[in-house]
Amino acid sequence: MNDFKALSEAISKGDINKAVAETKSALEAGISAQDILNQGLIATMNEVGDRYSKGLIFVPQMLRSAKTMQECTKLLKPYFQEGDVVSKGQVLMGTVRGDLHDIGKNLVSMMLEGAGFTITDLGVDVAPEIFVEKVREVEPDIVGMSALLSTTMPAMADTIEALQKAGLRKKVKIMIGGAPVTERYAQKIGADAYGSDAGSAVTRAKELLGIDRSEE
Amino acid sequence: MKALKADTFEPRLKVLNRDQAWAIHEAALEILGKTGVRMEHRGALEMLLDAGAESSEGGWVKLPASVVEKALESAPRQIDLYDQQGNEAMCLTNGNAYYGTGSDATFTLDLESGERRRTVLKDVANFARLVDGLENMSFAMSMANPDDVPVESIYVYVFAEMVRNSSKPIVFIADSGNDIARIHDIACQVASGEENLQRKPFLLNYSEAISPLRFPQNVMEKLIFCAEHRVPICLPSGSNAGGGAPVTLAGAMAIGIAENLVGLTVHQLAGKGAPFLFGPNCSVLDMKSTVVSYGCPEWSLTQAALADMRDEIYGLPIWAFAGASDAKVMDAQAGAEAMFSIVTALLSRANLIHDVGFLEYGNTSSLEMVTMADELVAMSRFFTRGIPVNQETLALDAIQRVAGGGPGSIFLLDDHTFEHFMKAQFLPRLLDRSRYDSWNEAGAADLYRACNTEARRILSEHQVAAKPDGVLAEIDRIVKAG
Repeated sequence: MNDFKALSEAISKGDINKAVAETKSALEAGISAQDILNQGLIATMNEVGDRYSKGLIFVPQMLRSAKTMQECTKLLKPYFQEGDVVSKGQVLMGTVRGDLHDIGKNLVSMMLEGAGFTITDLGVDVAPEIFVEKVREVEPDIVGMSALLSTTMPAMADTIEALQKAGLRKKVKIMIGGAPVTERYAQKIGADAYGSDAGSAVTRAKELLGIDRSEE
Repeated sequence: MKALKADTFEPRLKVLNRDQAWAIHEAALEILGKTGVRMEHRGALEMLLDAGAESSEGGWVKLPASVVEKALESAPRQIDLYDQQGNEAMCLTNGNAYYGTGSDATFTLDLESGERRRTVLKDVANFARLVDGLENMSFAMSMANPDDVPVESIYVYVFAEMVRNSSKPIVFIADSGNDIARIHDIACQVASGEENLQRKPFLLNYSEAISPLRFPQNVMEKLIFCAEHRVPICLPSGSNAGGGAPVTLAGAMAIGIAENLVGLTVHQLAGKGAPFLFGPNCSVLDMKSTVVSYGCPEWSLTQAALADMRDEIYGLPIWAFAGASDAKVMDAQAGAEAMFSIVTALLSRANLIHDVGFLEYGNTSSLEMVTMADELVAMSRFFTRGIPVNQETLALDAIQRVAGGGPGSIFLLDDHTFEHFMKAQFLPRLLDRSRYDSWNEAGAADLYRACNTEARRILSEHQVAAKPDGVLAEIDRIVKAG
C-alpha cells in the first residue's frame, strides 16, 4: 500500500498546486497511475463526499476538492492505456427540452465526476432525439435528466419514450431530478432512479451500476 | 399649557447609505454595458438594438446606460391593483406594503391528516378562499402545482380556480405567450372586457429571467404580452447568492438589478408607460443543502436594501417575499423565520410581499402557516405604526382621575381605557396568552393546532362574493378549450 497522505490532504483542502505536485512526485516515484487514481484520488473524494453528507463541510469546499482531483487526473491520463478501467461509469447528462436551467444539472455532473464517473454534458434544452443520438454515440451507462419547471417535466417522459422507440432503453439506466420532480413521478414515467439532490444523485448512480463501497 | 402633540415617527428600517445604493446601481449598469445579456427572443433583441443596444457574439447584447435610463423614466411610479369587483385594493407605491401567498408548491400539508402530500387543484381553491377570508392577506397566488390537471394548461386551470374562489387581486404564473393569452381572456371575462381590465387591473404576472443574464423566448413572450395589454408584471430572476449570482450579496443584487433593468427596458419599449413591478429575488443558495433558502436573513436584507434603492434611485414599486420558512413542519423554526421576514419586509416598506405560508424552502405550502402569518402581519403592522403622541394618548386626564381618585380607582375601569383599548393595544386572536389552567382545560393546543382550527373555520364559514353564472360558464369554456 502506497502512502497518499500528503496528496489526500491537499485534495481535501482544495490546494491545487500542492496536489498536482504530489501527483507528479508519486508518478516519478514509479507508483502506477491506476493506484494513484484509486487509492489516492477517488478514495480521498469518497472521504470528502462522506464529510459533506455528514454536514461537516460545505458545497464550495467539496467542489474545490473535486476540481483539485480533476487537475490531478489530467496528469494521469497519458499513463492509461486502452482497456484500463479508469471510470466508475459513463453518464450522459442534460436539462430536458424547453428548460434552460443548468445550476442543478451542473452540480450533479461535478459531484458525479468527483465520485469517479465520466460525464458527457449535453447542456440545456436537450431534445429527446438529441438524447437518443448521443446515447447511440457515447453508449453511456446512465442517462441523467434535469428539469426545473413543471411544464418541462413531461419532456423527461418524452425522452424515455424516444429511447424506448429507438430500442435503446434497456441499454441504459435513467436517473432524473429537479425541483418539481418526485420519486412518484420517476416511477410513473419509468425512470430507474430519482435523486433529490446532488449527493443522493451520486448514491443512486452507484446503486444503479451496482457499485458497492467495499469494491472501492 | 402648550398643546401636547407631535408627529408620529413610524419605525423604518434602512440598511444602505446613499453611496452603497448608487454603487450597486452603477455596478448593474456596468454589467449591462460590459458583459451584456443573452436575449433569446428575436423581437425583444431587435427592439433593444433599435433603441441603441449593441449586439456582440453568440447572441449577447450590451446595453448602454442611456437605454436603460429611458425605461426608468417612463415606467409608472405607482401601480394600482383592484379586487375582482373593481374596488381599490392595493396601491403599490412608496411605503405601502401588501402581503399574499406564493405559487407552484409541489407539496402541501394536508389540513386533515397533517401529512405532506402532492398538491391538487382543490388546494388552489382552498388557499384562494383562505386568503379571501384573511384580513391581512391582500392577494392570492396558487400555492400549488396541481398533479390532477393537464400540465400543458396547468396555469390556466390554476388561474381559473383562483378566480372561482377569491375576490382579491391575483398574482399569476404563465408558461408562455400561449397560456397567458388564455389567462388574460379569463381576466377579461371577470372584469367585463379588456378596457375595464386595463382601467382596473386585478392581476399581476410573475415571470422569471434566468440568472445569470439569460432571457429565454417564452419569458419574453409573456413580458411583451403584458406590456402590450397593460397587465402589470414583475420579472425577478433567481439571482440567489451562490446560485445564479455571486455569493456576496452586493454582487447578487447588482446582477439581479441588471436583469430587472433589461426586463424593464424591453417592457417599456413594447409598451411605454405600462406597469412594471421592480425587483430581483436575492436569497442565498444554502451552502450545505443547495436549496434556495426561504428563511434566511439574507433575502430580507437584500430586499430592505432594494427598498432603500427604490427610495434613493428607482422610484418604482418593488417585489418582495416574507412569511416563509425552510422548516419541514410548522414548528418553532417556521414561526421564527416567518416573523423575521414579515416584520423586516414591513419595516423596510417593501410593496408587494409574496410567498407567505411556504414551508420547506417553498416546496410545501401550508394553510396553517398562512393563517399564522396573517396574525404576524397584524402584529408587525401594529409595531410599524409607532407610538402616536398627543393629548389623548398621553392621557394626563385619566392619570389625574385614577391616581388622584379614591380607593378602588383603576385604569381598567376608566372611560379612557374603554374608549382606547381596541386601538391602543394589539389584540391577538391566535397567539395564546390565556392562563395556564384555562389553556390546559381547553385542550392545550399549540399554535399549529390553533391555526389548523382557524383555517378549517374560515374554509367552512367564509363566503366568497359570487360571480355571475354567465362569467363562470365562459371561464369553464376557456379552460376546456385548451
